[in-house]
Amino acid sequence: MLQNERSLEMTRQQHQTEYVVRCLFERVGVASFVGHLDLMHTFDRAIRRAEMPILYTQGYNPRPMMVFALPLGVGIDTLGDYVDISLSRVVDAEEFMEKVNNNLPRGVKLYGGINIDEPKNSLMSVVTTAMYRIKAPGVQDPMLRLFEKDEIKVEKKSKGKIVETDIRPLLLSKAQKMPEDKDICELYVCAGSVKNLRPDVLMSALCKYEGYDEDAAANAEVTRLSLFGGEYPKLLDIKELL
Amino acid sequence: MNQVKISRKDLMSVESPGRYVGGEFGSVIKENVLEQLEKTGTCKEVRTAFCFPDVYEIGMSNLALQILYKCLNDMEECWCERVFSPWVDMDAVMRKSNIELYSMESKSPLKDFDVVAFTLGYEMCYTNVLQMLDLGKIPFRTKDRKENDPIVVCGGPCAYNIEPMADFFDLAMMGEGEELIVEVTKIIKKYKDEGKKDRKKLLVELSQLEGVYVPSLYEPVYEDGRYVGLNKLHESAPDTIRKRIIKDLDNVPYPTNPVIPNIRIIHDRAYLEIFRGCIRGCRFCQAGFIYRPVREKSSETLCRQGIEIEHNTGYDELGILSLSSSDYTGLKELTDGLLEAFEGRHTSLSLPSLRIDNFALDLMEKVSQTRKSGLTFAPEAGTQRLRDVINKGICEEDIMKSLSLAFAGGWSTVKLYFMLGLPTETMEDVEGIADLARKIEKLYFDVCREQGIKARRPEITVSTSMYIPKPFTPFQWEKQNTKEEFLQKQSHLRSLLKSKNIKYIWHDVETSLWESVLARGDRRLCDVIEDGYRKGCFYDAWDDHFKYDTWMETLTEHGLTWEMFAKGFDVDDEHLPWEHIDVGVNMSFFKKEREKAYREEITPPCRTKCSACGAQCFKVGECYAPK
Repeated sequence: MLQNERSLEMTRQQHQTEYVVRCLFERVGVASFVGHLDLMHTFDRAIRRAEMPILYTQGYNPRPMMVFALPLGVGIDTLGDYVDISLSRVVDAEEFMEKVNNNLPRGVKLYGGINIDEPKNSLMSVVTTAMYRIKAPGVQDPMLRLFEKDEIKVEKKSKGKIVETDIRPLLLSKAQKMPEDKDICELYVCAGSVKNLRPDVLMSALCKYEGYDEDAAANAEVTRLSLFGGEYPKLLDIKELL
Repeated sequence: MNQVKISRKDLMSVESPGRYVGGEFGSVIKENVLEQLEKTGTCKEVRTAFCFPDVYEIGMSNLALQILYKCLNDMEECWCERVFSPWVDMDAVMRKSNIELYSMESKSPLKDFDVVAFTLGYEMCYTNVLQMLDLGKIPFRTKDRKENDPIVVCGGPCAYNIEPMADFFDLAMMGEGEELIVEVTKIIKKYKDEGKKDRKKLLVELSQLEGVYVPSLYEPVYEDGRYVGLNKLHESAPDTIRKRIIKDLDNVPYPTNPVIPNIRIIHDRAYLEIFRGCIRGCRFCQAGFIYRPVREKSSETLCRQGIEIEHNTGYDELGILSLSSSDYTGLKELTDGLLEAFEGRHTSLSLPSLRIDNFALDLMEKVSQTRKSGLTFAPEAGTQRLRDVINKGICEEDIMKSLSLAFAGGWSTVKLYFMLGLPTETMEDVEGIADLARKIEKLYFDVCREQGIKARRPEITVSTSMYIPKPFTPFQWEKQNTKEEFLQKQSHLRSLLKSKNIKYIWHDVETSLWESVLARGDRRLCDVIEDGYRKGCFYDAWDDHFKYDTWMETLTEHGLTWEMFAKGFDVDDEHLPWEHIDVGVNMSFFKKEREKAYREEITPPCRTKCSACGAQCFKVGECYAPK
């Protein structure tokens, strides 16, 4: 049947090798209010509009082969996330980014891409650490005080039950060079599929432990500055973790 | 320039904030206009807010929005932006934080626009029009608007009987809007250039355009609680308003670069409209008459546009759109062309409204990504007698023949759509629905046995909706069934459909009762609708938010009743609130069709034989095709 032939042609099995482009991307402004799944569709359509030869998974419901390093919450900007996109032939990363960028909505942009062979480790599995910038009135000092605590207990919903967990171990370090502006705080936290600290959870801890204003916390501008592999403080560049 | 600001906290507190932020690929930002606005707070261009009175995900699935957005933005002298109805959670946030309704593109307050244009696809969205005007701080009534307020206009299928909303719109556009909306905008541009001096004069000028209805130039007259006609309040107001059509669909602008939403929407695919109108003439169907005459786009144009759209949008599905895909004369060329072009691109076609035959089954197999999706039939009525009454040109033998083919081909899921409450319907007709479903169930097992196919459990779904008499149909004078009659029919059918292979889906009766009032209502309903809205009714199209009791109570408070509107009209003796609108099809044709319905006589499709409905007056399309 026609349909089967078509899906075979574009899927992985037909191709001995997949050619992966690993790109950094930023997502800022209104585009940040789009959920993670919707962002994947946005990338998929932009790549199709750019006529780039993206591969599809095999099976009943073929999906474009795209791996994101770490899901990105609604309302959070990013300046340094990673995505691996599998192609059926080699396309120079520069050309790929230029064509796809022309087709992405405002606020989403690829940069710093490299061509790699099929990575041995999935992009998701190499991420361990994220650096965030939080911008909110007077947020720096109370946030730094959180680092002095021995434990930071927050309530989390897990399988319908509310459990208390200690997020202190997930808080790795403040930035080597903290901005002079007291409304900005930059810090390293655990990120990835094993240990992960969500910025909204951190903000609620700030309200709980430091009496930080809840409205100000809700209005905080959170930006993911970059993602790393390795183990803190020996962080590794994700581009080199193949 | 005024820009509406929403705090991150407010935005994050509502469901799906992506609905409210814009920034989509393909959305139009006119930098030259923005620049003027930022410098001087005003601009030379006409600023139009295209308003969809429902939630973003539905509005963005609407083809009319994409078409007219393109037509207006193709004009140098206009910038059109989109505005949607905020969902109830956002509505509450906006009221609490005093946030005005704003446009997706420039985030300008609605009241800063020159034109506020609503598309009215269904009656139940009327209260959302008021919600949007309310949140936009625009006076509801045309009589209360001043020279600097936006001109509030509407179009779409509900505009054909705009009387229940007449007090809220400065003008209504009848028919297809691609050309008319441009003409209207040009006149408004002149009004703006001249400093917006005389609103009344502008409306009178606009009323001279064919297809424009300015309700404030007329006054309805009632005698003994009955509508008896319109009084003209201005000598140059036209006696009748004829709808507009596009004569050459091959050369009309089509959005091959539509706005691509960043979030998932209801119909998340690209669209290709293949023809307008319908050759069938089912007597209950408003779309079958108001879009006459049938006009096709050539398969060459469609192939070219389809390929362009697939490339420009990146969608992996192209929906073929029309009232009845199988009636498109170039269907084979079109689907062959598109399937060939999309090979290897992971793009599928979706073809709704197919009449099931060998060609259709073959086609469905080719185009569908998922194997053997369900088949859908709309017999509408359970007996041949009633199908003849409504002129549904489909007989039991056709259905059985199609299904034999489909079952033999491995299909086992069938959906059947019916209506309850059609004119002349008896309990026997209702029972006919159950008989048909059972015959189909039996047919499945018979075919499997004959063909040596291992029988599975067939899934047969029977779905009934309530018939609502609509303007501009042969049944526009008919009485609607009462609540009790509908409920009785539903429960009778439920008791007859007990097989484990047959699923019965029925719909809420109350929604249909209110929709029927709005569909055939007159201007006395304007006060009722405003009052209902003030009492908290909006999103009436959503069952969870529809407040039937409030509406009935509000009707009573205004000295009106459901019966007054649902009982219909005396065909010889009474005036219809929409009789000043001319859709091309004559009232005398509707009367003749009604008589034929009562005689159980069918009328052939216009491709077979012209029945002289009157649509010939447009001098194009099927009316002039060789027979």
